[in-house]
Amino acid sequence: MDIVVAVKQVPDTSEVVDVIKIDASGKDIERGTLVSKINEWDEYALEEALQWKQKLGGTVTAVAAGPGEWDDTLRRALAMGADRAVRVDEDATVIDCSAVARTLAALIRRLPYDLVVFGAQSEDFGSAQLGPMVAEMLGIPHAALVIRLQVEEGEAHVERELEGGTRELYTLRLPALLTIQTGINRPRYVSFASVRKAREKELSVMSLDELGLSPEALTPAVELDRLELVPAGKRAQLLSGSAEEAAAKLAEILRDSGVI
Amino acid sequence: MALTEYKYSDVIHRCFRCGYCKFPTSFVEVNNCPAYARYRLESYSTGGRLWLIRAWLNDELDWSEHLGEIVYSCAACKNCAEQCPLPFSGDIVDMIVAAKGEMVERGSIPSAVKEFLENVDRQGNPYGTARSKRGEWMEGTDIEEYRGQEFLYYVGCVGSYDTRAQQAARALGRVLQKGGVSFGVLGNKENCDGNDVGKLGEAGLFEALAEENVRQFKDLGVRRIVTLSPHAFNAIKNDYPRLDSAFEVLHYTQLLRDLVRARKLDVSSGFNAKLTYHDPCFLGRWNMEYEAPREVLRTIPGVELVEMERHRADALCCGGGGGNFYTDFLGGSEDSPSRIRARDACATGASVVATACPNCLTMLEDAVKAEGLDDRLKVMDISEIVSEACPPKGN
Repeated sequence: MDIVVAVKQVPDTSEVVDVIKIDASGKDIERGTLVSKINEWDEYALEEALQWKQKLGGTVTAVAAGPGEWDDTLRRALAMGADRAVRVDEDATVIDCSAVARTLAALIRRLPYDLVVFGAQSEDFGSAQLGPMVAEMLGIPHAALVIRLQVEEGEAHVERELEGGTRELYTLRLPALLTIQTGINRPRYVSFASVRKAREKELSVMSLDELGLSPEALTPAVELDRLELVPAGKRAQLLSGSAEEAAAKLAEILRDSGVI
Repeated sequence: MALTEYKYSDVIHRCFRCGYCKFPTSFVEVNNCPAYARYRLESYSTGGRLWLIRAWLNDELDWSEHLGEIVYSCAACKNCAEQCPLPFSGDIVDMIVAAKGEMVERGSIPSAVKEFLENVDRQGNPYGTARSKRGEWMEGTDIEEYRGQEFLYYVGCVGSYDTRAQQAARALGRVLQKGGVSFGVLGNKENCDGNDVGKLGEAGLFEALAEENVRQFKDLGVRRIVTLSPHAFNAIKNDYPRLDSAFEVLHYTQLLRDLVRARKLDVSSGFNAKLTYHDPCFLGRWNMEYEAPREVLRTIPGVELVEMERHRADALCCGGGGGNFYTDFLGGSEDSPSRIRARDACATGASVVATACPNCLTMLEDAVKAEGLDDRLKVMDISEIVSEACPPKGN
């Protein structure tokens, strides 16, 4: 079975939240001091693809549309066990999903695939649109927020995670595209030595030209106006009384504010 | 790798389960192995762990999260190496580290260990806190950046980021100034020494960290290093030299001992307390330094030093080694080694337990609170005790 996994490299902001600053343009964050890493959802997607390759045989190809620095994430994917990686050289500050989707779809069309997997969303912009857009462009069925996957005889049986623990079960005929939710598996650790060894594996870079895409064809449909930091709140109300009394007060506050 | 490729394949089966690895020399307790103390299951003693490792490498046992936790519960304290009567005893901890190394290469490690290693790789510390915050412990002090002074004061990750250990880092800075030592620190430019990364089996990452540090130290013209943590002391003294580094490295208690002997450090304000000293594994069993901290404490007027029953080479590990101060495989029970150690300290009648390691400091501080002993036992780092004993005026 041939699986294509789309990956993205994002700034590491998990423990450094109060270090984020908006840059001079007002449309991006200052990235100078930030370290980058693989998008968390993509790590789960890669792990899932690799586990299915181990079970059923075949190949895993990691793809990305981004700048040269993103080779780090592709090398990591190769170190995890992907067979080859392809990057379309593109400016990652384009946040319009349709443009990125067109780029990835153009690339994926040229690759053999039974299954395409994306992370459900990205840590930085979190739109969760890319996977479903690419599926539509490729003309294949998709399921998003997959929390469990079973592949057999040309079909993918998936569980989608909805609110409140509800699950939807679907069967999709392959080829299909899935966007993967965190928690579907436990991604393996990638050792320093294995990343070094992965340099022997194929990582090719393509230009938009080679994919037959002109920059005009990728005009963004969505433009970012500005980024703002949410001002830190200073109001805290301490609820006194027993647990029951405090809970009653809290319920009233939540009801009055329209939250529940 | 198969069992045959494992570096210690010719000796790993030779453990004949005598159980000495669980005891101190005096046999006063059967729980001197911190992991065994916590779980009281053979799997968690060194002998049991080695047999499980052998079975796993020989494909008799599948990897599981549970097996990973058993192997990674080893705090690398070296009690087993100290007590084992067999000729390969010196290699025992390395045998466990080599097995962890195989788990690392296969990518099968417990999630907490994965987090630890990924955090060190990205932010230079296991907590994953931003590099840009590493120097924050210095705020409010007048400690200088390293610019060629006689000593590089290497703080380490726990001293830089843990709020309790930061107090020891600052206290040591003050004491060094009082002692007239010419020193500077790296602040945000300091990176993890890699000692615990190595003991977690990530040899590739350790080598990368060590190489970078050696290059950085050489570029800055560093010749002498004093460390807050025995973990850094151990790595720089024993593992960095193979990377062509020729630094003189001291643990801070050794430097303070030298200052006290040369009468360069005035501790005449004294410190009135009956205190007991907890030997840190990476200063004690790993580097055989049992005397310097005691000598420093004994020169302070007012100090009455009493020993715990298990001390020096028999000291019970606080359970913070092998990354456990972060991964916490040994926590959550009154049998946690740190809590047992807090009870040991209390049993001496001392009102203060002195530490010489930021990991021990944070582990014992939490343990004393968990035991409800914080009204009668204080945990203090030797740097803090000495700082209090230095008269406030003059240098």
